[in-house]
Amino acid sequence: MSLQFIVDGLLTGSMIGLGAIGVTLTYSILRFSNFAHGDFMAWGTYATLAVVSAIGATFGKVAPIGPLSFGWPLLVALVVGMAFTALLALLLDKVLFSRLRSQGQAIIVVMASFGASMALRSLLEFTFTSRPTYFSRAIQIAMPVGFGIRITPDQIALLALTAVLVLGVHLLMTRTQTGRSMQALSQNAALARIVGIDVAKVVRVTWIVGGALACVAGVMIGILVQIRPFMGFDMLLPMFAAAILGGIGSIPGAVLGGLIIGLAEAGAVQLIGAEWRAAVSFIILMAVLFVRPIGLFGVRER
Amino acid sequence: MSETVLDVHNLEAGYEPGVPIVRGASITVRKGEIVVVLGPNGAGKSSFIKAIAGLVPITGGSVFLDGQDITTAPAHTMVRLGLAFVPQTENIFPLMSVEDNLRVACGILERRDIPARIEEMYAAFPDLVRQRRTAAGNLSGGQRQMLAVARALIVHPKVLVLDEPSAGLSPKFVSAVFEMLAGIRKSGVTILLVEQNAKAALAIGDRAYVLVEGKDRHEGVASELWNDPVVAELYLGQRPQRQQGGAA
Ligand SMILES: Nc1ncnc2c1ncn2[C@@H]1O[C@H](COP(=O)(O)OP(=O)(O)OP(=O)(O)O)[C@@H](O)[C@H]1O
Ligand SMILES: [Mg+2]
Repeated sequence: MSLQFIVDGLLTGSMIGLGAIGVTLTYSILRFSNFAHGDFMAWGTYATLAVVSAIGATFGKVAPIGPLSFGWPLLVALVVGMAFTALLALLLDKVLFSRLRSQGQAIIVVMASFGASMALRSLLEFTFTSRPTYFSRAIQIAMPVGFGIRITPDQIALLALTAVLVLGVHLLMTRTQTGRSMQALSQNAALARIVGIDVAKVVRVTWIVGGALACVAGVMIGILVQIRPFMGFDMLLPMFAAAILGGIGSIPGAVLGGLIIGLAEAGAVQLIGAEWRAAVSFIILMAVLFVRPIGLFGVRER
Repeated sequence: MSETVLDVHNLEAGYEPGVPIVRGASITVRKGEIVVVLGPNGAGKSSFIKAIAGLVPITGGSVFLDGQDITTAPAHTMVRLGLAFVPQTENIFPLMSVEDNLRVACGILERRDIPARIEEMYAAFPDLVRQRRTAAGNLSGGQRQMLAVARALIVHPKVLVLDEPSAGLSPKFVSAVFEMLAGIRKSGVTILLVEQNAKAALAIGDRAYVLVEGKDRHEGVASELWNDPVVAELYLGQRPQRQQGGAA
């Protein structure tokens, strides 16, 4: 068995993990499963693609950065895409989720997110067709790094970006007043208000962080695989599996869960064939729910 | 001692429309006082102070804090307005460390003042110092209550509102909690206290109200209320005892 699956698994795991951060935050702070999270990824990716194209149309061809497949336009576009996705999440919350949430029935919010997911996806298909597209068609040469493992410069850059983002979110959650407020709200909403936390503000931050990271995850998929309207929806099961495996509410848990699922998927593809890829998340999810429903980093409610 | 800090007038509040739980309750708390609210189970004591704190919808009456109308103020603005509330249960964040429980409550303080203020709280509640990195959910019942009170005091409230701080504690901790409250009042903080433990509460209280079916039915000097046979038998559900309760 070749060790190449480690690189593939870590990359898939990074995408799943970045997405799972948003899922776990929405679940623990807003208390519902947001099925539209995958579609935030896809919308963010298409927004980023649109900005890349616009920059290309304005400045002509831009040389890539060093050995990477992309140049500064993609980086600028990614930042714009992250802001766009955050705004999309805020907008959807304002027009849909917040109204239903105030009625206090979580299941209705979940259903609404399912509907929003379908609507968002259909809009993408309608606008961009379901044909896959790419940020770059350049083929990158994978460099051997020993043990039969090969890795491309793009892959190295994206793994590094994931590490930086995860560290950043972790510090935000544990070292800042905003992060502590998010923790507080997830543990006891009434007490959070009593100690002076403006719930509406914390909810906004939650959507901004979740939306922005969903965009990054989507763009990673776009760079390494391809861009399709279904790209985010297809990530839904792995993302939820990762969030639950890590323990709902835990940022490190969501990322570790993502990496475990990514590695398991890549390993399974190599051992038993690509058609089993989707089953991996499902099996892991089931196993966690049976063996340790609170997940790796979860804590039992007291 | 006569300046009014909290003035609640004819308060009506309830969880669902058309089902009032608090039905025209009035109390006054003056600066530096400990005011006790007593009443049988289900009288609406918790609902009453939760309504004051902005946590139960108010349908009538008014709440004034230091002359300012706070009747419709949202719950999260109360600490800024000067009212700090310690709920009866679930009054700490169990998965956060003791220190983060204190720090998360410091939102209205100047950032540079926060570390010193946290140290002041540790000085006032020395039991918490050794536990500062412990998850608050692992504290003993008494220590949780200390933490909840420290968390409320950290923002220099004009009035500290507590819902049955001695409930569910072992007798040793019950007396510790009442000693703590007496000490807090000595430091100049005004206190509104809901209690089941009438004897201990009246012992440290200045004045008391008896709340029945969502309405204040009786008001008096704390030390006298304990010896009022009607109050004792009807509202406190206890036979009067001849021993002196006495104000602290
Ligand atoms: N969250 C709620 N939703 C609806 N009704 C409630 C709620 N909380 C309390 N009630 C009702 O309000 C009434 C008063 O309850 P409350 O807890 O205020 O009384 P209490 O005097 O604090 O009682 P205790 O001495 O047991 O603490 C009860 O009939 C109770 O059923
Ligand atoms: Mg009560």
